[in-house]
Amino acid sequence: MDQTKQEGGYGYDLFPERSKRKYKEGSIAERLFTFNNKCQVMLQFAMETSPYAKLLLSAMKSSGCKILKDRHLSCEDCDGTVSGGFDAASSQIVLCQNNIHQQSHMNRVVTHELIHAFDHCRAHVDWFNNFRHLACSEIRAANLSGDCSFSQEAARLNFGLKQHHQECVRSRALRSILAVRKISREEAEKIVDEVFDTCFNDYAPFGRIPHSNRDAKFANRDYENRDRYYANL
Amino acid sequence: HGDTNIHNNIISKFEFRHCKSFGNIFHHYYTHGTAPSCQQWKEDYKNCREWEKHQGIEAKEALQSSEMNRVAEQRKFTPVWTMRSNPPEDWNMPLNQETPRDS
Repeated sequence: MDQTKQEGGYGYDLFPERSKRKYKEGSIAERLFTFNNKCQVMLQFAMETSPYAKLLLSAMKSSGCKILKDRHLSCEDCDGTVSGGFDAASSQIVLCQNNIHQQSHMNRVVTHELIHAFDHCRAHVDWFNNFRHLACSEIRAANLSGDCSFSQEAARLNFGLKQHHQECVRSRALRSILAVRKISREEAEKIVDEVFDTCFNDYAPFGRIPHSNRDAKFANRDYENRDRYYANL
Repeated sequence: HGDTNIHNNIISKFEFRHCKSFGNIFHHYYTHGTAPSCQQWKEDYKNCREWEKHQGIEAKEALQSSEMNRVAEQRKFTPVWTMRSNPPEDWNMPLNQETPRDS
């Protein structure tokens, strides 16, 4: 774990177990005193059954970044209310076992973080120094993971209809940036505005904004057939 | 080749019906603030059937141009980042949680 990055205001303080685990991995204490087991079970279920996650896992494999559960995914205790994160320094997705208690939430967090991992895999994303890159990935993750679906927003008591999806994506991207970087709200808003059009319209690897599991299943089918599709063009 | 075409027929028919569905109209309004435009899928389905029956060159070209437009629509924005030609070298590097790495 990179010490300089730890001290540099990159949000690592939200993920204290990145530097030192409280209980030894795989120990009985870990099993008794943390939600690690529950997290592992929900994670496995998400990877096997969520069409969003399955599509991203295929896309990553095709891009040369096959996800190995034991290497690239880690269930840990985190601070505050954060649900997960992508640690580019170690190429790992962190799932906050103390803050994810429902399968549907796990599915969304896994999808969200896999989108970051996918971006890391296919592009030169400068996570630590370029706020535009960070903002872009956050916009995409909020847009494509189901974080901003009508039902999710309604559950948060954010009732909105016309173009509300975009408002939600902007505000969640902003929140994510402010949680992990020391910049002002105004500056963050400006950056989100600058990159919004490009990043909101980048649907890779889904091909469309999936609004439900059904949409995601069809996006998955389209993705599987893409070689044949492009050959026909 | 025949199979691919039947497959494309199924897809464009599905996409047209999906486009017109209440669920899609709702989500399109929720996302973009407008109703979706489904005319292109209808044209595509028509051209697909045309190609299947008569192998008309016009139908085939119309289909190809429609698909290429769709792909171009997706690519018209200036990317924020540069794409990699190879995956990150350290993707599978073993984790070493004891020693801090130098940046």
